[in-house]
Order: sequence, then structure tokens, then C-alpha cells
Amino acid sequence: MSRDGLRCSDLTVAPGGTSPVLRGLALEVTAGSRAALVGPSGAGKTTLLRAIAGLEPLTEGSVLLDGVAIDRLPPHRRKIAVVFQEPRLLGHLAVLDNVALPLRAAGVGRRERRRVAASHLEEVGLSGLAQRRVQGLSGGELQRIALARALTADPLLLLLDEPLGALDPNRRGAMRRLICDVQRDRRLTTVIVTHDRGEAAELGDSIALMLEGRIVQHDEPRALFERPVSAAVARFFGATNLLPDGDAMLAIRPEHVILEEDGELRGRVVEAVYAGDHVRVVADCEGRSVIAHVAPHHAPRAGEEVGITLPDERLWRVPPRDRR
Amino acid sequence: MRSRARRPALAVVAATVLALPLLALVLRAFADEWRAPALLPQRLGLRGVRVAFGGETGAAFVNSAQVALLTVAIALVIAWPAARVLGERRLRRPGPVFLLLAMPLLIPSYAVGTGLTEWFIRLGLDGTTPGLVAAHLTTVLPYVTLVLLSGFGPRLSAVEEMGSVLGLSPVRRLWLVTIPAAAPTIGAAVLLGFLVSWSDYGASLALGAGRPMLPVVLLPFVGGDPQVAATLTLLFLAPAVAALVLTVRAGRRPL
Repeated sequence: MSRDGLRCSDLTVAPGGTSPVLRGLALEVTAGSRAALVGPSGAGKTTLLRAIAGLEPLTEGSVLLDGVAIDRLPPHRRKIAVVFQEPRLLGHLAVLDNVALPLRAAGVGRRERRRVAASHLEEVGLSGLAQRRVQGLSGGELQRIALARALTADPLLLLLDEPLGALDPNRRGAMRRLICDVQRDRRLTTVIVTHDRGEAAELGDSIALMLEGRIVQHDEPRALFERPVSAAVARFFGATNLLPDGDAMLAIRPEHVILEEDGELRGRVVEAVYAGDHVRVVADCEGRSVIAHVAPHHAPRAGEEVGITLPDERLWRVPPRDRR
Repeated sequence: MRSRARRPALAVVAATVLALPLLALVLRAFADEWRAPALLPQRLGLRGVRVAFGGETGAAFVNSAQVALLTVAIALVIAWPAARVLGERRLRRPGPVFLLLAMPLLIPSYAVGTGLTEWFIRLGLDGTTPGLVAAHLTTVLPYVTLVLLSGFGPRLSAVEEMGSVLGLSPVRRLWLVTIPAAAPTIGAAVLLGFLVSWSDYGASLALGAGRPMLPVVLLPFVGGDPQVAATLTLLFLAPAVAALVLTVRAGRRPL
């Protein structure tokens, strides 16, 4: 079987016969890579994941996995494993038996499936919990068990829906590293849904931004942050300074704006908010707001006049509307 | 801490309150002589057992068990898809369905039985097992559907979806995921359905055509011979207690 990865073409999905959530969507994920699917709530990220997994019927379009059309196959024949936002473990089974469930589906003998499940449980660092019931385990442990179970299914494609969403900040890093490690070790084609652009940059070899049921830009993480294709993409990825430039806009990230005495523009600080590792400064510059992130010890105060420099190499010209 | 310490004491009080009437029933069943105003029987014996099991009781027990088991089995088959559709909110206007489900519960089973009698006689179903099962279904089906409904919803659908994407075919998913996950609800539905059928007096009397059913056999003794009535009541309780124990055990397995 060729390793073409995932190719979704012209996907239209209208759950329950309502208005379409996905509208002619196209997405390609290179075999063996991690794509982070990011977008605001309601953009259709989870619907796309469900459509790829076969849990949501397609109105139009096709899904190819490693060159094989899977859109007419039932979910259990697609060789796709999904780690849902909530782990969906079975309370009547021990942790090990939860992890071994896909092997039971495949008719693997009890001893072999327990051996394989134990090795996956060890891989996610939870071999000590094999005989425990899932009740009382932490959110992080449950999510790792769900990941081990997905790996036991030996899928061609792994889909993760907000895998870090329910974890506290301290456990997110460990889970993120684990996801990246197991994906890299297997060269497993993976799509990860998140609504957090920072998390998307950490998790994805590439990032696909979804807005209103379409992928509006799919590129390496840096491109979405620094070379957005539209004002909407720029705004989502935090390039909140959008200055008119003829029939287009000039985008620049707040951290690239320089406040200095002899700046090329003059402005007055209307707001300076301390945000821990930086101060968010909003300056009024000839009637337009310019936002800059500056180090706390260099931050001007509200009411001060400041010089503003927008380095040419950091400015990016974008059309005012998304390309459709 | 104080409230925790109170829990065992409260449990003992609750268990005592529940057990005392049962204890009185056991005493009554084995009291061959118990004249007022004595607190305890003057003479214990097995007269109640001999009389209770001398007539149609054995046949009535078998008939009632057979009808109740068949009724519950058929009710499960019908109620399962109905509860899934209602639980997953696939109907745009479920109100009329809920009203239909509630109607047999609002009407006494004797009235239902009487209403069905003429038709059942015409169809040759009165006094037959299929006839009694059909009559009992009118009251059992709503209970079973409503109990199943409480466990069929987004949580069950979610674990079923999980089973599907892990490679389980629909049949294996049913056995390995759906039924174990819904076991407490199924257990409760079976228990309630069985007990409703097992204790149904009205429809059994109206449509039984003289066929012995346990509630119909029990009732005449309640006023006339309390010892026999108590013995039959204990027999009446036995399957209910067994079903309750099984259901509680199933209920300990959370979703």
C-alpha cells in the first residue's frame, strides 16, 4: 500500500440535514506527518474529524487514506483511531482491558492482546495502572490510556480531538511530548484538533486553519504566524495590527512592533496592560490603534507619547478578505 | 466526619424499617396458632405451606413466571430501539410518543384487561400465554421504555462511537461495549418490567379465563386465611428479591 497520507477533497457535511458545517473543504496531510487543525469554536474542526472517521456522513466529497477511498467504508473498517476530547473509557473494564479492546475486536487471543496492550501502556508511562479500574484516575492518566488504546488499534491515521483540552497547564507539556514522540516513532499520519494557536504550533508539523467550514491556510507553523494569507488568518494568529495599504492591508505582529524614541511614527499610549512576560501597549497613531508587546521594564505608561517603528522585513501584505 | 459516622447508623435504621414487615410476614406464614392479644405466635407449624401449595399455586407460579419472563423479553426487544430514538433525541416532536407511553400507566390494568377481553375472546387469545403476554405488555412496555430511556443518550452513543473507530463491528460493539455499558439500566428495566408483570392482577384476572396466575390465587386468602396469604406472599416476593439482588450487583458497574 502506498503511503500517500490523507487527502480530503471537496468535503461538504451537513449534520442532521442542517446547513452545511463543512463547505467544499480540501485538506491534505503528508504521510507520517502531524497536522494541527486549528480554528475558533464552531469552525467545524470536530465535524471534519468525525467525517474523516466515518462518524458523520458526507453530503459531498471524498476521503482517501494512503490512496484508498474510505468515505464509503463504515467507521470500523477505516483503520482510523480517534482519541476524543473526553477519553470514553469503559468503566466495567480494567485499564489493561480497555487498552486491549481493539485487539479483542480483531479476534486476538487473550494472552497476546494483554501482552500488546501492556507494551502500549508502558509506552505511555502507565504500566503500573494495568489492573486498576478507570474510576478515580486523573484526566491526564485517562487521556494517556485513551492514547495507548488508539495505538493498540494499529491505525493508518490517528485523529486527536483537543487532546490537551482537559489537562491543566503543568500536564499539557508532558502529554504534548508524548503525542509527538509516539507519532514520530511510528511515522503515523496524525491530525490533531485544537483551538489554541500556540498549541497548534507546538503539536503540528503543519497547521491548517479552519474558518467557517473551510481550510483557509495550511502551511508550516511559522507561515501562519508570519505570512498569513488574509486579514482573518492574521487576526487569528495574533497579527492584530492590520494597517490599510491601498486595496490591501499590512499585517505585523505586536511583538515585532518597536517602541523607540526616534521611531518613524508618533503615537500616544492609551493602554498599557501587564501580562506577565510582556506589557501589551496600545498606542493611538493618527487615529489608528497600534498594539505592541514590550518587555515589562521598557514599557511606557498610559498617556506617554512614544515613537513607533514597523520594521519593513516584518510587514506582510494581505488581502482584506479570505480567498475562497 | 460526623455525617460519615452517622451513615452506618442510618443504614441500620433503614434496613430495620424495611425488614420488620418482612419479619412479621415470615412469623405470620409459620404461625399455626396466633391469637390476639399475644405478641408472638402460640404455635409454629407448616399448615400455611401445606394449604398454599395444595391447590393451584405451583401452576400459578409457573404461569406467572413464564408470562413475566416472556413479557420482559419482548418488551426489551420493542423498547430498545424506541428508547434509543427517544434518548438520542432523533424525533423532532417526541411529545405525542411520551403521551402514548404514559397512557397505559394512567389507566388501571383491570380496565385495560376488560377493554381487551372481547377482542381476545374473538381472537381466541383469552387464557393463553400469548394473550396474557400481550395484555401485560400494555403496562410493562412503557415502564421498560422509560427506564431504558434514562440510560440511552449521548454518553452511550459516545462509547459506541469509540468502539466503532477502534474497529468493532456493530455486532461485536453491541456485546463488548453497548450491553456492558448499559447493563445497570438494562438490569433496572428488566427488574421493573418483571415485577410489573409478575404482580399484575387486573389484566391477569380479566383475561386469564380461569388460568391460575399468582396474584389472582393469592388475593382470596388475604381476607380469609392470613397464614396462607402470608405464605403465598413470601413465594410472591422470592423472584422479586432475587431480581433486586441481581440488579443491585449489575448497578455497581458504572458506565
